[in-house]
Amino acid sequence: MPPVDLQIESLERSASRKRTFYRWLLFLVLGLFALYYLAPLYVMIVTSLKSMEEIRQGNLMTLPGEFLLDAWKIAWSGRGYTAGDVFLRPFFWNSTKMVIPAVVISTFLGALNGYVLTKWRFRGDNLIFLLFLFGCFIPYQAILLPMARTLGILGISNSITGLVVVHSIYGLSFTTLFFRNYYVSIPDEMIKAARIDGAGFFKIFFKVLLPVSAPIIVVTVIWQFTNIWNDFLFGSSFSFGEAAPIQVALNNMVLTSTSVKQYNVDMAAAFIAGFPTLVVYILAGKYFIRGLTAGSVKG
Amino acid sequence: MATLQVSNLTKNFGSTLVLRQINLQVSDGEFIVLLGPSGCGKSTLLNIIAGLESVDEGEILIDDYMVNRVEPKDRNIAMVFQSYALYPAMTVRENIIFGLKQRKISKEQTEKSLNHFSKMLQVDQLLERKPAQLSGGQRQRVAMGRALVREPHIFLFDEPLSNLDAKLRVEMRREIKKLHERLGTTMIYVTHDQVEALSLATRVAVMNEGIIQQIGTPQEIYDKPNSVFVADFVGSPAINLVPGTMAKTGGTLSFSPDQQSEDFHIPLSTYDFEKEPEEGKGIIFGFRPEQISLPGSASKSQIELELKPTLIELTGYEQNVTFDFHGNEVVGRLPRNAEAKLGKSMSLALELSGSSIFDQESTRRL
Repeated sequence: MPPVDLQIESLERSASRKRTFYRWLLFLVLGLFALYYLAPLYVMIVTSLKSMEEIRQGNLMTLPGEFLLDAWKIAWSGRGYTAGDVFLRPFFWNSTKMVIPAVVISTFLGALNGYVLTKWRFRGDNLIFLLFLFGCFIPYQAILLPMARTLGILGISNSITGLVVVHSIYGLSFTTLFFRNYYVSIPDEMIKAARIDGAGFFKIFFKVLLPVSAPIIVVTVIWQFTNIWNDFLFGSSFSFGEAAPIQVALNNMVLTSTSVKQYNVDMAAAFIAGFPTLVVYILAGKYFIRGLTAGSVKG
Repeated sequence: MATLQVSNLTKNFGSTLVLRQINLQVSDGEFIVLLGPSGCGKSTLLNIIAGLESVDEGEILIDDYMVNRVEPKDRNIAMVFQSYALYPAMTVRENIIFGLKQRKISKEQTEKSLNHFSKMLQVDQLLERKPAQLSGGQRQRVAMGRALVREPHIFLFDEPLSNLDAKLRVEMRREIKKLHERLGTTMIYVTHDQVEALSLATRVAVMNEGIIQQIGTPQEIYDKPNSVFVADFVGSPAINLVPGTMAKTGGTLSFSPDQQSEDFHIPLSTYDFEKEPEEGKGIIFGFRPEQISLPGSASKSQIELELKPTLIELTGYEQNVTFDFHGNEVVGRLPRNAEAKLGKSMSLALELSGSSIFDQESTRRL
């Protein structure tokens, strides 16, 4: 037997070797997955920068010989495609005009619902919450016909306003669920203190509760923004022509062209249509994770 | 001037009765502590006084006005909570003056009150900080500042010290006591800690299962508990309770414990019965740990005992020694130089004055 300190030294060495090995193995696996997930994005971008010529002869993965922005210009606002051309610019603004009010309204109402369901309890509040929860499980398809009828009666079918209403209502179940679960963890004593201090219903909401809601607001906004921006079914069911949101326009652009498929334009268009959600995730993703795991607010 | 009167108050949550027939009179400047185990209804009672919970039956009167349907903000009360309940997004300054702002108090007056009370509570250096940047003790001070600054007629405290560590708790307890002596405002304080209750209160109301079991000065509660529950709940180490029967030996009343091995009686001739029980009745004999002492100064009200220690706990200044007393465990509080050895009988004296006797059936004091 070697002396004890030598023994310990060799044990320490082998433990640290093992640790390093597993660390690198972990990085390797994570790296491979990251590459796998990023590959389609890479293909989209390089394809959109190639000429049709190059696409026809080339390989999916090769970099373009020459960086051409023509396809992007055509997709956004170009000319000279074929008859019945669709360019994304007006529809991008349609989507923007739809998504901002719909996100703001559904988030605000969700916060208000969560506030009432947790801090101003009333008889039957749990039943109401259960119904909201139930709303989360209603599939899109199930509400298409009744919603079309409702929009018709309200006189807002085939309009951005109509889509704002649809998305606000459909999103309400989710936003209510998010805020309710977040506010449950905020101590009731804070609300009691504010009531004794003399603040009313809305004062407490705006001055006491909303300022501590940042994490859940971020989660809700990302959730709603992504869902509403990416929605195709409601957009294609309740709007057509000039009032359509960008996803519907993208579909029209890619699927209804009569001549040769312009893959570079399609790729650029798809990227443009997906870009805002990408930005939202990159900017707020950190808070998204934090908000999802945020439990109680201490202090 | 602030008085509070609670009469015949009853409260249900669904089908559970939380408070039944509560009656409480608080005169101006009193410090009332509502003491009881968790779930006894003490916090609910406080919330009802504050107006945060509704009344099912009965009346709440503040300064002789019926306030059953008055909003919390209009009751002239302030409340300090266990979790401090500070507004996390506001600075200490904003927290303290939030209530004044809602009441549209002038800027000058607000600033004056803020200065006065933040100095008094030593938080004047912390005004620009957020609650998250404060320690537990500082948060509690700010919470008290928020209550004080409104200069309410009645202060309500809902277990304000429970979240603090042991040392800080004693410190803040002393400060609350000083504050009461300085301001002389009526205070109502909820706690489950009997030491807090005894040291702070001018009167203690011991609650259990939605009923006020006993209300009285800390001395009365400690010396003459009116039921086994109150006796057992107040005091640490807990009172020794030994079941037995009433006996009569040679014309004098005495107590003989159950399961006694030899003929052993404790004479009760000096005990001041409220209602003298019959011979043979099942009773519980209660005595405080400090009634056991080393023999020495023989007084008339003492009897001598030989007991075997079964457990010895040093508390620093003293030692709590558990003895086997006719099949029951009893605790004695002895000076630390008392030579107690496990399993070795020692002779002791039991002081009889200060004992309590309860009916076994009703558990009420006899």
